Amino acid sequence: MVIGQAMKRKEDPRFIRGRGRYLDDIVLPNMLYLALVHSPYPHARIKSIDKSKAMALSGVKAVITGEDLDAAKLEWLPTFHGFDKQMVLALGKALYQYQEVAGVVATTREVAHDGAELVEVEYEPLDPVVSPFQSKEDKIILRDDRETKTNHIYHWEVGDKEKTASALERSAVRIQERILSPRCHPAPLEPCGMVADMNKATGRLTVYMTSQAPHVHRTAFSLVTGIPEDKIHVISPDVGGGFGNKVPVYPGYVVAAVASVIIGVPVKWVETRTENLTTTGFARDYHMDVEIGATKEGKVTALKVSTTADHGAFDAAADPRKYPAGMFGIVTGSYDFPTAFAEVDAYFTNKAPGGIAYRCSFRVTEASFAIERGMDILARKLAIDPAELRRRNFVRKEQFPYPSPLGFVYDSGDYETTMRKALDKIGYDALRKEQADKRAKGELMGIGVSSFTEIVGAGPGKHFDILGIKMFDSAEIRIHPTGSGIVRAGTRHQGQGHETTWAQIVAEELGLDPQELLVEEGDTDTAPYGLGTYASRSTPVAGGALALAARKIREKAQKIAAHLLEASEADVEWKDYKFSVKGVPGKSVTMKDVAFAAYTNPPPDTEPGLEATYYYDPPNLTFPNGTYIAVVDVDSETGAVKVRRFLAVDDCGVVINPMIVEGQVHGGLTEGFAMAFMQEIQYDNDGNHLNTNFTDYLVPTALETPHWETDSTVTPSPHHPIGAKGVGESPNVGSPQAFVNAVMDALAPLGITHIDMPLTREKIWRAIRDAKAQQ
Amino acid sequence: MNLSWNGTEEIQAGKDAVWTFINDPAKIATCLLDVQSTTIRDAHSFDAIVGVALGPVRGKFTFRIALIPASDGNHMDMKVSGGGLGSVVDLVAGADLISNGDASTTLNWKGTAEIRGPAATVGGRVLDTQARRVIATTFENVRKSLSGSPQAPANAPGDGS
Repeated sequence: MVIGQAMKRKEDPRFIRGRGRYLDDIVLPNMLYLALVHSPYPHARIKSIDKSKAMALSGVKAVITGEDLDAAKLEWLPTFHGFDKQMVLALGKALYQYQEVAGVVATTREVAHDGAELVEVEYEPLDPVVSPFQSKEDKIILRDDRETKTNHIYHWEVGDKEKTASALERSAVRIQERILSPRCHPAPLEPCGMVADMNKATGRLTVYMTSQAPHVHRTAFSLVTGIPEDKIHVISPDVGGGFGNKVPVYPGYVVAAVASVIIGVPVKWVETRTENLTTTGFARDYHMDVEIGATKEGKVTALKVSTTADHGAFDAAADPRKYPAGMFGIVTGSYDFPTAFAEVDAYFTNKAPGGIAYRCSFRVTEASFAIERGMDILARKLAIDPAELRRRNFVRKEQFPYPSPLGFVYDSGDYETTMRKALDKIGYDALRKEQADKRAKGELMGIGVSSFTEIVGAGPGKHFDILGIKMFDSAEIRIHPTGSGIVRAGTRHQGQGHETTWAQIVAEELGLDPQELLVEEGDTDTAPYGLGTYASRSTPVAGGALALAARKIREKAQKIAAHLLEASEADVEWKDYKFSVKGVPGKSVTMKDVAFAAYTNPPPDTEPGLEATYYYDPPNLTFPNGTYIAVVDVDSETGAVKVRRFLAVDDCGVVINPMIVEGQVHGGLTEGFAMAFMQEIQYDNDGNHLNTNFTDYLVPTALETPHWETDSTVTPSPHHPIGAKGVGESPNVGSPQAFVNAVMDALAPLGITHIDMPLTREKIWRAIRDAKAQQ
Repeated sequence: MNLSWNGTEEIQAGKDAVWTFINDPAKIATCLLDVQSTTIRDAHSFDAIVGVALGPVRGKFTFRIALIPASDGNHMDMKVSGGGLGSVVDLVAGADLISNGDASTTLNWKGTAEIRGPAATVGGRVLDTQARRVIATTFENVRKSLSGSPQAPANAPGDGS
């Protein structure tokens, strides 16, 4: 078995030796550098832009403004959501602080930035809109370019509104809470960047870019610029973290490409940290009004969630067209609600655009946070243990495939077994006893449970698209004569370990050595067309394509094996990683034997070679799930939280490489921990962005990060070729509420029900102080 | 980011001398902190390039400063607008002059500033402290210039409101 082995990552030797090749490592002859000018105002009319001083600076080659792009009909770019467009450079108005207003191209990075300082922009400041609730009033209309003079972007709803309202009305017990999933940012350590290289001799534009979806970016560039797609070559080199941030097209990409096309030499643009945090895709910013009804015995009767979403200045949420609020319909979570209703209203504000899937499959983190906080609040109201309340309401194992009241069909799961494993492993009963003892002494200890269900693996193409392109994915496998091979996929890893796991999938299917299978992604000239890596879709979609491409090879190999074994093809079977003649145990050939024969001795009626391509459009999504438990101690004097233990039990279906899964879970838990306790992109009432660098937007280090305990259960996905479900986003989706539930559990004796993330010491200290004052 | 300050300064000079001084752009320009160059535009305004260090925001800011005297000679307004490094500063300040006899004048002053861009977001935490230092130093320089001799350090300005 190759699948299931903790094989060391094939990509790591080059990374740990500093031999990775990232975007900023690329230096081309005659390359120029691009720096961008940003608006200091969140909302302002642009009265004039004076380029003259910048152009006079030695080394500056060009200054590009929105008007220049307008003249070239390149002033707008489509957002991946498909319903809106985004200014490349501010034209007429700046709509958020740090919006790109002009670009300066120069011989060095330093001169470009100095030149950007010399671009004089005259603004007429306008009153900003800094919250979706203010936006809702439509007193200030932000988007002059839209025919509809409202800040309201869309209303989306799913479920049975009347039935849910009626069920809530009739419920013996009801809870209501406004729960904020605050604006946060993926903050990959490598910011976004591009080297655009227009070769005027060939008419071909080569772009090296930090891309999680290079094929989609190629298509988008072709649509924006009008350059035929065959004349665009996108290469995504090693990517230093993406987490959804490197899915959208950003103005810097377009301006760098335009500059290279105009000037005819390579142009490099690499963001600063501030540019990354202030202008590229944020995540979340969902204000969710959660209502749950239940019986007195703790059986849920109905769920209603009404959300007000802050989308910033443009609707750049990278959600499929059919699902403007992404997969928020997973908000019923792991629970068997008889009825449910969810609605989302999205609004423009004077903030950076985004709403990307930051390590979550399109709004799943928000949905999961809402239901898991809601269930905890309900448990407290019912005076039922939160784990027990969850257990009473789980979708039962025998209910799968489970049609949820909000329209998804869950593929598989055994929530109760997963929870039981988690409770036993962490010693839940003993912890509750310890908590009771501590409470008697006035100490604040909390235990937080999260039993989440994710939804990942977009496609299927009938429901999900980007820019209209169906969300399939692809794989191409070529086996060389000596039995090694090259594996290419339409995905693009950014740390997920595809070079290892893809090799393991193919090796498992073909009985080859994964060390001899080279995995390549990220080059649109060589890889088959795919939709990229985000939203935990690589293994559910491209992983399926890889297995099925390998099986196509195996089909052909069987013919060749039969030829070699001098047997009928029907008498040859694939068993124990080799082809044997049924009933003749000693007569067999390996895939290596077959590979050599495919080039040297193919059967007469068979074309030489051994390769296959597969485009896989999955029949359904996959539904990873898990139970996470956090144990915390809260200092009542300072509000400081110590995460004493954290256990994650994940069911991600069949595990390809447990070491990589563990690494994925550790990383996601650390991000979830950061969201719960540290991270929020804040704007003041004047629209100033307050978290523009890593001193104000905190990334946890090893000092703050708790010790993670992990375990797993396995319920294979019945429709996935190898039964895998995906795991990259589960820890980010499942963990924030475990932390928050634990802290709220600790604060329960003080009557504190809910505090919005991030749970900073100050917020907790103030809540304790206020609660004590009321006692 | 909006900031406001107010305070009272005692200048050891008569009201007429103080009024004359603060009406002169060239003299006021010499009192600003970290001025690198000034250009007098007319009788009531000047441009100044000032070195700024707000935490990690360090560089040159260019300001246009307009002096707006009241006709009664008892009040002076000042508007400062400009910025740099992608930041914008708009400041409005006003001072009432109260004569304490020939030897001294009291300035009751208040100011509000709107700051946007990295100066507000990156340097926001140190902005108020830095602004108070600038204000204190400016008044100290005014005091020195008018008295012609070193004086005790200026009082810290009052709390923002």
